[in-house]
Amino acid sequence: MEPILEMKHIRKTFSSTVALGDVSLEVWPGEVRGLIGENGSGKSTISSIAAGMQKADSGEMVFQGKPWNPKSMIDALQHGVGMIVQESGTISGVTVAENIFLAELGQFKKLGIIDRRAMNKKADEALRAIGVNDVHGSTPLAALDFQTRKLVEIAKVVMKQPRILVVDETTTALSQNGRDILYDIIKRFRKEGKAVLFISHDLEEIMEVCDTLTVLRDGARIRDFRKEEFDPDAIRTSMIGRELQGDYYRGDFTPSRLDEVALRAEHLRSGDALKDVSIDFHRGEIVGIGGLSHCGMHTLGKILFGAEHPEAGSVTTADGTKITNETAAMKHGIGYVAKDRDVESLALNTSIRDNIAIAGMERYAIGNFLVTGLKERPYVDAQIKSLSVKCSDRDQLVSQLSGGNKQRVVFGKWIGRGSEILILDCPTRGVDIGVKKAMYELMDQLKREGKAIIMISEELPELMGMADRLIIMKDGVIMKEFARSRELSDAEIIKYMI
Amino acid sequence: MAQTKLTKKNRLRELLVTLLPIAALLILFGVLCMVVSSRGYRLDMYLRIIFNEGVVLAVVATGAIFIYSLGSFDISLGASTLFSATIGVLVYNSTQSLPLMILTIFGVAVGCSLLSSVLASVFHIPVFVTTVAMMSVLSAVAAQIITTKGGALGGIGIPAAVVEPLDNLPFKLAVLAVFAVLCVFVFNFTKIGRRLKFLGSNPVCAKLSGIKVNVYAIIAFVMAGLGVGLGAFLTLVYTPSVTPTTAGSIGMNILVAIVFGGMPISGGSRSRIYAAIVGGFSYILLNNILKIVIDSGAGYGISQIVSAVFFLAVVYVTSMNYRTKLLPR
Amino acid sequence: MNRKITKLLALILTLSLVACLFAGCSKKSAAEEIKIGVLVADVSGEEALAFRSYYENYIAKNYSNVTFVYTEQLTDAAAEKSAIEKFAAQGCQAVISFSSSDRAIQLDTCIKNKLYYAVGSGMLDDAQFETYKTSEYFVGQIGPSMDTEYEAGYAMGKYFADKGVKSVAIYGAFIPNPMHVYRAAGVLAGLGMTYGGASEKDAIVGQIFGDQGIDTSKVGTSGVQLTGYFQGFGDTTFDELFGILGQNPEAFLSVGMATTFFTDALNGANIEFSDIDSFTSANGKAMSEGKLVYLAGKYSSSIGPIFAAIMNAVNGHPVRDAEGNALSISQNYLVATDADSFAKYSTADQGDTPIFNKELLDTVIGDSISYDSFVSLVTADRS
Repeated sequence: MEPILEMKHIRKTFSSTVALGDVSLEVWPGEVRGLIGENGSGKSTISSIAAGMQKADSGEMVFQGKPWNPKSMIDALQHGVGMIVQESGTISGVTVAENIFLAELGQFKKLGIIDRRAMNKKADEALRAIGVNDVHGSTPLAALDFQTRKLVEIAKVVMKQPRILVVDETTTALSQNGRDILYDIIKRFRKEGKAVLFISHDLEEIMEVCDTLTVLRDGARIRDFRKEEFDPDAIRTSMIGRELQGDYYRGDFTPSRLDEVALRAEHLRSGDALKDVSIDFHRGEIVGIGGLSHCGMHTLGKILFGAEHPEAGSVTTADGTKITNETAAMKHGIGYVAKDRDVESLALNTSIRDNIAIAGMERYAIGNFLVTGLKERPYVDAQIKSLSVKCSDRDQLVSQLSGGNKQRVVFGKWIGRGSEILILDCPTRGVDIGVKKAMYELMDQLKREGKAIIMISEELPELMGMADRLIIMKDGVIMKEFARSRELSDAEIIKYMI
Repeated sequence: MAQTKLTKKNRLRELLVTLLPIAALLILFGVLCMVVSSRGYRLDMYLRIIFNEGVVLAVVATGAIFIYSLGSFDISLGASTLFSATIGVLVYNSTQSLPLMILTIFGVAVGCSLLSSVLASVFHIPVFVTTVAMMSVLSAVAAQIITTKGGALGGIGIPAAVVEPLDNLPFKLAVLAVFAVLCVFVFNFTKIGRRLKFLGSNPVCAKLSGIKVNVYAIIAFVMAGLGVGLGAFLTLVYTPSVTPTTAGSIGMNILVAIVFGGMPISGGSRSRIYAAIVGGFSYILLNNILKIVIDSGAGYGISQIVSAVFFLAVVYVTSMNYRTKLLPR
Repeated sequence: MNRKITKLLALILTLSLVACLFAGCSKKSAAEEIKIGVLVADVSGEEALAFRSYYENYIAKNYSNVTFVYTEQLTDAAAEKSAIEKFAAQGCQAVISFSSSDRAIQLDTCIKNKLYYAVGSGMLDDAQFETYKTSEYFVGQIGPSMDTEYEAGYAMGKYFADKGVKSVAIYGAFIPNPMHVYRAAGVLAGLGMTYGGASEKDAIVGQIFGDQGIDTSKVGTSGVQLTGYFQGFGDTTFDELFGILGQNPEAFLSVGMATTFFTDALNGANIEFSDIDSFTSANGKAMSEGKLVYLAGKYSSSIGPIFAAIMNAVNGHPVRDAEGNALSISQNYLVATDADSFAKYSTADQGDTPIFNKELLDTVIGDSISYDSFVSLVTADRS
């Protein structure tokens, strides 16, 4: 049997950084191959080269027995390699159908006018084909949420029936339902003798989905695992190049908290997102809030921080102060790590120093007005050191950091100012396991210091692994509250989510 | 390791981009000196003229940096300058008091800025719309006052003797220096400046970091208002009269100056106060060099075309730094 | 990136070198040269270009030691002041001004820099003239005064009233430009109209300044009807024009620029029109082939006498009146009402054969020229 795609001695550099140094990779018919590695390992780079998104500096590719040099992603898709990208690959100003048929609007032209009805119909068919039934071709893309946009993008790629489907970190943007759709597609590809290149940070997921796994580290292919060789510890070790303890969540299984209530949410209502939600958050407690992407938990996080105003209900601190805006929240020691890190938590083209310093000025400003490097620099350096942010120095731009290091900066920003209540919305989204482990340890430590941690996450394992109390939401309502326990099972919890 | 190497290179590039505008200013200064001397013109006079031409622009642009750092802009600054100067002249003519005139000019300038910003931030009207509206309203009102009061003269003024003692290099230099130092201080060493820059870098994140967006937008406009007030006063010091066209080109020149100074128009953390001064004087130097070198008989507008090309080149270079930051994932 | 920076530095260096090269090509030797700086507010109008051509292509050729240095477009008083300072730095001895943002500041700056100053077109306000008339550096003014502007407008209005026209539209050009305000006031008075109840010059002018234009509701009329009024030039100007032409006025009276902006439209609409402009070829065509029936104009060499006055001052023989005051001579417009009269003025004032030619100017350039000889030179009937 011949491989569908053969990549030989691929090399790619960005300025002086070597993203890929002589990596070879084969993809076989009927194979679902996982690519795994830490941020910057080269997994996205090699898959994007295969899919025509960028060109290699050297090396050669053979696709279905012929030399493979796609000019662009569209060219690649038309000839059999489709990719669903990590970032949003859709355009928000136009309709779903226009997004799907962006490069080939011509086929719907009649006398120079685009037949929208035919185009919308075809778009609907493409969406139905992957199992999306509630989105229509005529809907403006802007009206859809992030997850549904991803599904539109998936439909767009799958419709072209590529021989190889590249899925780059797509599942982090998807709820369980969306993931199921994608998993079905992957199974279909395997059955039809096509192939899938699957990139994910999520080890459990990748082990579940893939037949073979290639581990990349620092732009080099480290090791392949066949399904029967899959072993989380071995994979992690080869990913980070050192031994890592099997369980990186909290070691204990006893729920604990201090008596003092740090933050109290009462009867919160906000459209369809929240319908009469009341929760007390205690000091020294990690409260996990889980559910599907649209269950209302992200809105809850914003309201707790004062960034959104509820239609009814209130958020009060221990001293009875109502939290109505971000400034009040920060004044009362609340910190908020937002879900959309690059937009909501960081100013990317700004230094690490500015990003950390901005929230903690009252900690070092003289007379609450004057800001000098004399006090600011040690403040920032302390955060960089305590959170082990990997950077050349404090003046490096945040945009130059890897996802995990960016998240460390965000944590530094909030922890540095001595936040007593931390609202963490998807705190480990898009970070590699090394950073994840560090984040979990940090959360555990903060809990022990008596801080109140509110952890909102779409990843059940981490909620189960970290929370003292796990609150499951669905359609804006609290469905169930679980206490920390060794006996908690996914199946039991998922029942309340769906 | 590779990351560090790359960062060092970035740092070097950053430094070069920072130094380029200053280097350009020095080169332009050198070229002007050469051109003026080789033509047998009086260099000392030329330098004084160029300082006078540049100082108002530099002062107003320095204040405007606060607005530009937000990634926002105010096209009405020229009209505000005209309007404040006009009201200042009226006040002087009815009270004969220089201090009162100065106070009025600042009051009016800050008032205009406040109005723009309040309209923009409180009523959520885009800044572009409010400042365009302000520009039209202010210049129309000023023109109305000037032509009504000035009649056949086409302008109104205060007696030249009132401000003549101030029309000298040391005074203007001192004004520019004091204002620049004040702005640098506020911009770099206070919570206000640091937050403004952050707000310009990412307004969403700034809001979620407890920065009151509206409050800081208003502060930025007030600082710009101070620059406008000072600019209006210096305009009157140089020419103690106002006509409907006074300061007409300042609004656009500020934009050019700030770009020449190496600051991105998108604002944010790379905003620099000195950009206004360096850029303002570079622009004036360039214009003067071109006017001397290109014979005006060769066709009007050639020097404008050359400065436009120069402008585009500068925009290209300053944005280059962003565009090459496409890093591996 | 480094390559890009190298390229950029190379570009800057090249630019500087080119600049130096240009700088090296300096002109005539500065020894016996008379350099006259010319302040201009309008750089592209046909009249402005004709003036410039007269100075640069006729005067400078016939007086070989004279060089004119022109400014770019001057938009405000500060630009005028710094342009004069640059003239001083460049070694000019005199300034002729065609820019009027602030003439007092122009004069103060010239006096401070020891430059002779003359008003090239238009005139100082009376009070200003009183202030500066004895200044050693104020050479004088020859051109239409504001009164002359009013009279020019008046004569134009009266021409149509006398013709028996019943309805007119008026274009106010760039009111509140004072020159246009005075002309428009004259037009109203000449047509027998009142404005805000007033029929006196000063009262009409004051109100037009106050209204920043002509408010048609304030126009009182007993004979000729005003069917429409507009001013300025912008995106909606032609809409306004066509709206006004829709009212079918018998004549279209403009206080300036109409021949530049609207000749085709007015010819097309078959409406007689008039303007106060200059004797340019385009206007001649509009008069012989189109519907231009009245033109009060300047001719390009009308700025000859003020040059002569400047020459005398620079040569150390300034012309003053009996009290030692600077020249102040009002220069009237020439009026053409048909192709023949137009041709007479325009053919008489061609590039190489201007009305104010070297022979004529030489009669008033010398060491003992009287004020009166200037007056008779300027006011003699040149038709």
